[in-house]
Amino acid sequence: MSNAHHHSDTVPLHASSQSDIDEIEDLIFASVQAGPATVRPAPPVSPPRAQIPAFPSTFSPSYIPTPPPIASSQKPMPVPAVPPPPPLPVSSAGSGIQNDISAGGFGSAPSTLTEPVWDTVKRDLLRIVSNLKLVVFPNPFRDDPGKALRDWDLWGPFFFIVFLGLVLSWSASVKKSEVFAVAFAVLAAGAVILTLNVLLLGGHIIFFQSLSLLGYCLFPLDVGALICLMKDNVVLKVIVVSVTLAWSSWAAYPFMSSAVNPRRKALALYPLFLMYVSVGFLIIAID
Amino acid sequence: MDPNLHVQENYANPKTCFFHVLFKAAALAFYILSALFISNFVIIFVMTVLLAALDFWVVKNVSGRILVGLRWWNEINDLGESVWRFECLDQESLARMNKKDSWLFWWTLYLTAVAWTVLGIFSLIRFQADYLLVIGVCLTLSVANIVGFTKCRKDAKKQIQAFAQQTIASHVSSTIQSAFSVV
Repeated sequence: MSNAHHHSDTVPLHASSQSDIDEIEDLIFASVQAGPATVRPAPPVSPPRAQIPAFPSTFSPSYIPTPPPIASSQKPMPVPAVPPPPPLPVSSAGSGIQNDISAGGFGSAPSTLTEPVWDTVKRDLLRIVSNLKLVVFPNPFRDDPGKALRDWDLWGPFFFIVFLGLVLSWSASVKKSEVFAVAFAVLAAGAVILTLNVLLLGGHIIFFQSLSLLGYCLFPLDVGALICLMKDNVVLKVIVVSVTLAWSSWAAYPFMSSAVNPRRKALALYPLFLMYVSVGFLIIAID
Repeated sequence: MDPNLHVQENYANPKTCFFHVLFKAAALAFYILSALFISNFVIIFVMTVLLAALDFWVVKNVSGRILVGLRWWNEINDLGESVWRFECLDQESLARMNKKDSWLFWWTLYLTAVAWTVLGIFSLIRFQADYLLVIGVCLTLSVANIVGFTKCRKDAKKQIQAFAQQTIASHVSSTIQSAFSVV
């Protein structure tokens, strides 16, 4: 078959042979009745089948952004279900497309080819918002801190740290650059050191999850710094900073304390309070 | 005459390639040029790190998928353990990837890391600790992408070998079973 012949060399397929493969695939799908949504519009130069994942066992359900319209019973499609002998694009693409839909990450590719950036951006933005809500605001999941930041991301912490640095730098009348650099370095290094501290105490946390959590817990301090920027009254500043400090500590406490041995809880929490208090002083003392 | 062999190989995804290079070049250019024109360190820091972070996101989520068919991420399973996932396309699709695309992808990835290292050495010589901070962040992001995608490639080869063995094994067992059923 000419298709297999095109396959054996590594030159990318010419557009016409690509459409041949498409036609054959569509015919086979029509006969096998793989499902209505597998029929996609004829791919342009960069074919959507390039997004077909090969190893369904590596996919996890947590990566599916929205429930797929097709029956999700196709999800646990084991590898041996692929008919072994012909390495034609048809068979691998067949199982691949079924897994394509169930799989989420690679599986959202057909739609993300038409809008590649926007959908992923939206998904990441929504994740930031949901992580923020989970960490900083009261919610029923706080009893199980391990579940809290299952879907960690570092974008939120990045924005919050930079925002705090910018606000501090803005409210400083002299040495703005140094203030920013110091604030950023202290917060970033502080997060890393706090995580290492817990790990060295024999606690069980995941490095990036902890970094993410500590970054999200800066949100109340961001709000406090913004308020202090607008109103210059010292008493007001002290009150606002104390309130936001308490809020930040309350947000971070369950996660940190559950990660370590109960006898070492104080050892894990003390540096956390220290860091937030020093940032609070930085906010108050800037004039 | 097979026209395929004489087709000039072009970029299959010009827009993706463009964006892949855009943010890297913008971060480097901004850093180098701004040191000459802008005296405010904060702006330099924020813009450079923002561009570097955007580049990291674009490479990891968009161009890695489209240009070389690789993807990596981290997730936390139900037991609370962190698992790194490395994913690749199947052998045929990988073979079908545009050679120019993947060449551009890998070379720009390595070159940016080298460029940031060189800039870091410059600021080290000049004892500029705050610029070193910027470079540290940008370098971390580039190296993270390099490590992630390189592991994807290695994992890809391992998985292909395992898959091949598995298919051979299942094929052999199914032929044996069919042989027994005939007897």
